Amino acid sequence: MKLPVNLSDFLREAGSLSLFVSRFVTELFHPRQEWRQFVRQCFVIGVQSFALIGITGFIMGLVLTMQLRPSLMSYGVEAQLPVMVGLAIVREIGPVITALIFAGKISSGIGAELGSMKVTEQIDAMEVSGTNPFRYLVVTRVLATTVMLPILTVLSDAISLYGSYLGVNIKGHTSLTLFFFQVFQTLTYSDVLPAMIKTLFFGFAIGIIGCYKGYNSQKGTEGVGKSANAAVVISSLLIFIIDLITVQITDLLGLN
Amino acid sequence: MANKSADNIKLGLLVTAGVFILVVSLYLIGKNQSLFGSTFHLRARFTNVNGLMAGNNIRYSGIQAGTVNKITIINDTSIEVDLLIEDEMKPFIKKNALVSIGNEGLMGNKVINITPSRFPADPVDEGELLMTKTQMITDDMLSTLSNTNDNVEVISGNLITTVNRINESKALWRILNDTTLSDGLRISMHNLQIATENINEMSVSLLAVIKDAKAGNGAAGAIIANDTVARNLKAAVANINAASKESVEVLAKLDSIASVTHRSIENGNGVVHALLKDPAMVKSVNTSLNNVEKGTAAFEESMQALKNNFLFRGYFRKLEKRKSRARKSTTDTTHK
Repeated sequence: MKLPVNLSDFLREAGSLSLFVSRFVTELFHPRQEWRQFVRQCFVIGVQSFALIGITGFIMGLVLTMQLRPSLMSYGVEAQLPVMVGLAIVREIGPVITALIFAGKISSGIGAELGSMKVTEQIDAMEVSGTNPFRYLVVTRVLATTVMLPILTVLSDAISLYGSYLGVNIKGHTSLTLFFFQVFQTLTYSDVLPAMIKTLFFGFAIGIIGCYKGYNSQKGTEGVGKSANAAVVISSLLIFIIDLITVQITDLLGLN
Repeated sequence: MANKSADNIKLGLLVTAGVFILVVSLYLIGKNQSLFGSTFHLRARFTNVNGLMAGNNIRYSGIQAGTVNKITIINDTSIEVDLLIEDEMKPFIKKNALVSIGNEGLMGNKVINITPSRFPADPVDEGELLMTKTQMITDDMLSTLSNTNDNVEVISGNLITTVNRINESKALWRILNDTTLSDGLRISMHNLQIATENINEMSVSLLAVIKDAKAGNGAAGAIIANDTVARNLKAAVANINAASKESVEVLAKLDSIASVTHRSIENGNGVVHALLKDPAMVKSVNTSLNNVEKGTAAFEESMQALKNNFLFRGYFRKLEKRKSRARKSTTDTTHK
């Protein structure tokens, strides 16, 4: 039976990605890890993305507050603005927006970097020199994205809430203490922990897709561009799919 | 190498900041849910918790005091709510405090309100079961509002009917368009005012009369206040009663006489019948009267003859003089 070309390509990719993930898991539990490279990648992935994510988060908090205000005013619950914005940022907007920005910057970067290494046969050279390229290049990067995205999300949430505080004070007045008191009075662990857990999966997906696309890059420099592009597209799509699955799981567990 | 160290510091700073914010956030959330610090438990039983959930806030006199720990259904009419209260509130919550379920604002989350009683009592113990009171919830308010709306609808419908009837009423509009009516009404009102004033005056006068009567002044007062007059009046009334009784008897007798007379007249018996209805008797009476008249004229002539007789002339002159003297003395007395 001959399957349609797109479907067979999809299944081939899915199978190849599964093998890639299983290899990652295998290499992850290897006693010898490239910790220096891991820290280096944390710096590149985390610190160098912070400015972009911080600015995005700030603008999101500010804009969301200003957009929500008229709707809440029409219901006479303007005072609930910090509560609404706080819940929206912590539960959904903060993790997803941060992950999308992160995917746009990091997944494409990893895809392009590993793709160029692949097409210039640097990865093959590493194997020849006795270094495990998968452990050195893939494991460190995937771990770095998995660890750094939750931290960046927490920072982004905090900056978003500050942006929201400024948004509240544009047309009204509330103290910083009262604003954050209202936000934290509404939040529960069932709001924060699922959001944090899903950012771990977001980070893993971004890292693994970027590495997979870069590691399997072909057709010279043209393939590098395609790898970078595919890494962003697939990782962004995966973010939404993971988000959908997470919300279903939290709903089943009664955490919503 | 220096660059690498700086990068590591930046990374460390970022990670530390992220972890710090996460930990502080989790601590604040946990503190709001009374997960940290010492707490104690209280219980309250409701028939309906109206959507209250574990984690909802508890307020004591409006102050955040803890969170709802657990909600357990005991039977079909009783639901037990386990309240997790901060230890520092323990001395203030008394055994007679009332627990109720309310809302944070009109559309907010459910909240448990603990209201202190006005009467003194001991502080609560661990696991104390507090009394509850049912508060009006939004559903009840909406239900009441719905009934009010229905009533308003009925009233407005009736109002429309009434207004339509008023609009269609020619008589009413004729009255309203009649310009002379207002003048008449004004005059009537003026007259009414005068009448009222008169009534006021009358009432004042009546009041004065009543006061006088009470004070024993005047005829009415004498009747009311004076025992003697009252007794006399009573006696007079008794006499009138007796007289009326006698008059009734007399009238009965007269009536019997009249009936007898009437019967005798009708039967042609007796003197009355002869006088009233017998023509021979009438003729005889007329003849008798003519004879008397003639006799009287002859007697008058005889008397004139006696007056002119020299034997009786002196006697009649004496009589004349006596009469004129008596008339004169009467006139003098009148002038004096």
